[in-house]
Amino acid sequence: MTSIRKKLLFTLIGAMSVVMAIGAWATYRAAWEEANSIFDYHLEQIALSVRNQSFQGGAEAVVGEESFEFVIRIWDRNGLTVHYSRPHRELPEVARLGYATERTSEGAWRVFALQYRGLTIAVAQPMSVRARLAARAALHTMTPFIILLPLVALLIWIVVSRELRPLTELARSVARRTPDALDPISEHGVPAETWPLVRSLNDLLARLQTALQTQRDFIADAAHELRTPLTALQLQTQLLERASDADTRQAAIGDLRAGLERATHVVHQLLTLARAEPGANQPAPVAVDLADLCRQSVIDHTTLAATRNIDLGLAECPPTVSVTGQAEALRTLLDNLVANAVRYTPAGGRVDVRCGRDDQGIWLEVQDNGPGIPLQERERVFDRFYRRAGQAASGSGLGLAIVQAIARQHDAQVTLDDAPGGGLRARVVFRKPG
Amino acid sequence: MRLLVVEDDAMIGNSLRSGLRQDGYSVDWVRDGTAAELATATTAYDAILLDLGLPGRSGLELLARWRRQQNPVPVLIITARDSVADRVLGLDTGADDYLVKPFDLDELSARLRALLRRRAGRATPIIENGPLTLDPASHEVRLDGNEISLSAREFGILHALMEAPGVPLSRSQLEDRLYGWQEEIGSNAVEVHIHALRRKLGSDWIRNVRGVGYMVPRET
Repeated sequence: MTSIRKKLLFTLIGAMSVVMAIGAWATYRAAWEEANSIFDYHLEQIALSVRNQSFQGGAEAVVGEESFEFVIRIWDRNGLTVHYSRPHRELPEVARLGYATERTSEGAWRVFALQYRGLTIAVAQPMSVRARLAARAALHTMTPFIILLPLVALLIWIVVSRELRPLTELARSVARRTPDALDPISEHGVPAETWPLVRSLNDLLARLQTALQTQRDFIADAAHELRTPLTALQLQTQLLERASDADTRQAAIGDLRAGLERATHVVHQLLTLARAEPGANQPAPVAVDLADLCRQSVIDHTTLAATRNIDLGLAECPPTVSVTGQAEALRTLLDNLVANAVRYTPAGGRVDVRCGRDDQGIWLEVQDNGPGIPLQERERVFDRFYRRAGQAASGSGLGLAIVQAIARQHDAQVTLDDAPGGGLRARVVFRKPG
Repeated sequence: MRLLVVEDDAMIGNSLRSGLRQDGYSVDWVRDGTAAELATATTAYDAILLDLGLPGRSGLELLARWRRQQNPVPVLIITARDSVADRVLGLDTGADDYLVKPFDLDELSARLRALLRRRAGRATPIIENGPLTLDPASHEVRLDGNEISLSAREFGILHALMEAPGVPLSRSQLEDRLYGWQEEIGSNAVEVHIHALRRKLGSDWIRNVRGVGYMVPRET
């Protein structure tokens, strides 16, 4: 049961009942004690008054109230019953003088006995009388509460409902939020107890807003950036249509094919980036061997490197370095770095791929001896669709953004700095877990 | 007619250059703002095709600077920015026309012709000079109603001369308007084309002003 209202109601009523029950029991005990001392005194007084009177016929007068069920019995020296006020089957035998509590098949009896001139006078009373009296006292205490219980329950219900109304308001206020209006919920007028909830909700709303804005910007950027390859395609198609001789047509077809490849590449990169952005569904992470990864990437780029006359190779890479993550994504990360290095290094250059482990963590590195990237641009090259001035190669402008997104996904950091021999060194450091 | 294309994308730049050359323009293509500044400082262009999203200096900055320098060259913006605010800003900064990518090459040519026509102060697309008429769109040249077949270069020279009848243009001015940077110009290429034009039109239509250059006499 998760209703706060019901829970509060039952808990409060339950707690009150327990308290009242304890109170009733205490009253019962107190009344019982009281009754014991009064009635014991009574027993003794009756016995004494019987002794001071003649027994014949006078005993009933001192017994008093019928409901107290006093029984008087007198024996003579020989054990013969001389007087029996109310002949009783099960009146206990008197074992000793003074007070005693005797058990019979009819329950416990309180007996007071004294001896007087060879006679034994016993006055007895069933304990049940006293219990009844004590119970009645306890019941009297409980009665108002029992009568008031439904009223108290109703009151609790009303008060709790009223106090929970801000929660209903809060729920309504959350329900009003739409993806277009994710403004924070006001803390004004909500009970202090719900502030943590409101704050976490506002926190979530803020994060949602940021994520949505990122997505919108991404889509806007993407649509905008797709215009460039599409423009090229349109122009190339028209040039092909206009081509009057076979050579021109052949050249135009070649251009058109290159344009298509570029458009395909841009779309592919966009999809890759969308997958690497936070919030995308990811398969379960696995252990990825970085040496394998590096080797595969070098193999995959051998042809590209050869056509550009670049010496691409695997440098140091200890075989036991592995990280936990998305194998496919990490491969994309490394491929982008290697492809960039090969593409932007002048012919005759050299590109080295290496990995390792040091006190900062596990690292991957792609180093070239190309022109490098000036310091002031090293942050901006990670922006989506950022293209550097004066580049002959026409990329999608997404490669490093993809690298960055995948690195973040793996709690890794990407840095660009100067390679020892000139050129660019791209380094990915996977932070040590914990 | 000599055009400057300012476009950072290699494929678009290449295609524009090829397409516009087929239309008889000589085309210079630069890929960033600095190169564009340099080009406009050294060469007189008949029109500029300007992309806005350039690396380094933006297209709008370039345009604003040309207009501050009182450079009246017609500028046609070609860009992916398609919002009304962007178009208004582009035109208000001083552009003469605005074309959103992706665009049609034929439409681009037509808009260019319109720009050049307006610059020459004509409302009609066809340039007339007495019985000699020239249609920049169809490359049709007629003398007394008879069509005269010209090569692209010959047409280019006649077009340049007919834009301002009675005003002589020097050989180097004509070369500037006929050839882009990378094109090889033979030492007497202009003379060869002038000779061919005279042969096809009659020598009266292309006059040589000694020591100055060539002109088409104004007919009344």
